[in-house]
Amino acid sequence: MVTAGAFDGERPLHPAGAKVLLAAFEQGWAGPNGLSDASAKARQLLNAAREEIGAGLGVSGTEVEFWGEPALVSPIAIMGAPNFSVGKFVAGATERQEILAVGAKSRAMVTIPVSAHGLLDRDQLLEEVESTSVVAIQSANGETGVRQELSDLSGLVGGLSAHLHLDFAASGPLMKLPSYWSTADFPAKSWNGPAGLGIMLINKDRRWANPLAAATSGSTLRSPGSFSLPLVLAAAASLTGWLDDATRESERIRGLITLMRAVIKQTITDVDLAGSGAVNESLPHILSASMLNISGEQLVNALAQEGFAVASGSACVASAIEPSHVLKAMGLLTHGNLRISLLHGVQESEVKRFLALLPGIVERLRLDAGA
Amino acid sequence: MREREMSNESERELELDCMGALCPAPIIQLGKAVKTLSVGETILLKADDPATESDIAAWARLTGNSVAPISKHVYRVTKK
Repeated sequence: MVTAGAFDGERPLHPAGAKVLLAAFEQGWAGPNGLSDASAKARQLLNAAREEIGAGLGVSGTEVEFWGEPALVSPIAIMGAPNFSVGKFVAGATERQEILAVGAKSRAMVTIPVSAHGLLDRDQLLEEVESTSVVAIQSANGETGVRQELSDLSGLVGGLSAHLHLDFAASGPLMKLPSYWSTADFPAKSWNGPAGLGIMLINKDRRWANPLAAATSGSTLRSPGSFSLPLVLAAAASLTGWLDDATRESERIRGLITLMRAVIKQTITDVDLAGSGAVNESLPHILSASMLNISGEQLVNALAQEGFAVASGSACVASAIEPSHVLKAMGLLTHGNLRISLLHGVQESEVKRFLALLPGIVERLRLDAGA
Repeated sequence: MREREMSNESERELELDCMGALCPAPIIQLGKAVKTLSVGETILLKADDPATESDIAAWARLTGNSVAPISKHVYRVTKK
């Protein structure tokens, strides 16, 4: 598998997951709820995977539910909170769009602003949250890598016993669940697991009901069960392998991101680096930089010609019309944006080649634009 | 870009019409226009690209100039 220059956040399936995937299709083909021997085998495999994933995420297996559509996990977890139809929905300004979109279904929504470094305004959170509120907070942001102070924020929400939904899509298990939480979203992709598998955690001490239960299979099911068992097995194997890798790789990768921040700041003028970059305020592997007077699309294309795949949160890319709500909420430049996400195994030489090329590319694009 | 006479003052003010121009063109055009000004002179920017509203504040912070919103899609920029 070639991942050189893959800095865009796309994650290949972890080798440990890939190894079990084919065998899983052979052994785990039956539905786990039937009475046949094949179903019994499937049930056994599912229960083992549930326990393995629970252990990896720091919860009991009974708190783990699988969903076949990862993008629905957070919206459903939020709408299943006991007070969703009567209380305020409170969410951070930099949450993912599918979470902010839930506001349209709520009785009332309050958006909590973030600081220039992307940290949630804890005073305003405290002011807005009531015991009947449903609160959504991300562990970290996938565009900027800014991580929230979860233990502090969860303590504020917990003090009022409000429903707290935590979105771990960006950090995955790099960040741990705090002591207070109600539901959580961990897509399997967040640890190089397979795409197409969402994982919802439901705290056994909190009340929650599937808002789609009547529309799926009855009254008490916490998920429709419409997931692929082989993907669950691959996710469990990937998680165990990824956690081992993360122990070795996280600090090395943080060093590379720190180097990138320093070199970009030193070699490129008029650049907005997102977040403080401090260890307790950032994920180790993500960097976002916005460069004045260049188009994000041209920057992405120019880097692609040099063999680097990067992402951009700019409005001036073909796929976007509106500027990134995350960069906007932080007051950062929304054009000329470059989003880098480094994978485990990234080579220092790739990063250094990238850093050697970037200033010249930016200068050329600025000249071409007449800036 | 054109110059217009301020209605109640004798100063002259440049007007930069970037209506319909897409990101990042309005900010690039603004930067070029501001280079032609002396310190304290102003320019009136008209731009309706959705990114301009947030980008113009970031541009001012990065370049050390100042911006005041006048009305929807209209900004007065002062060279510092």
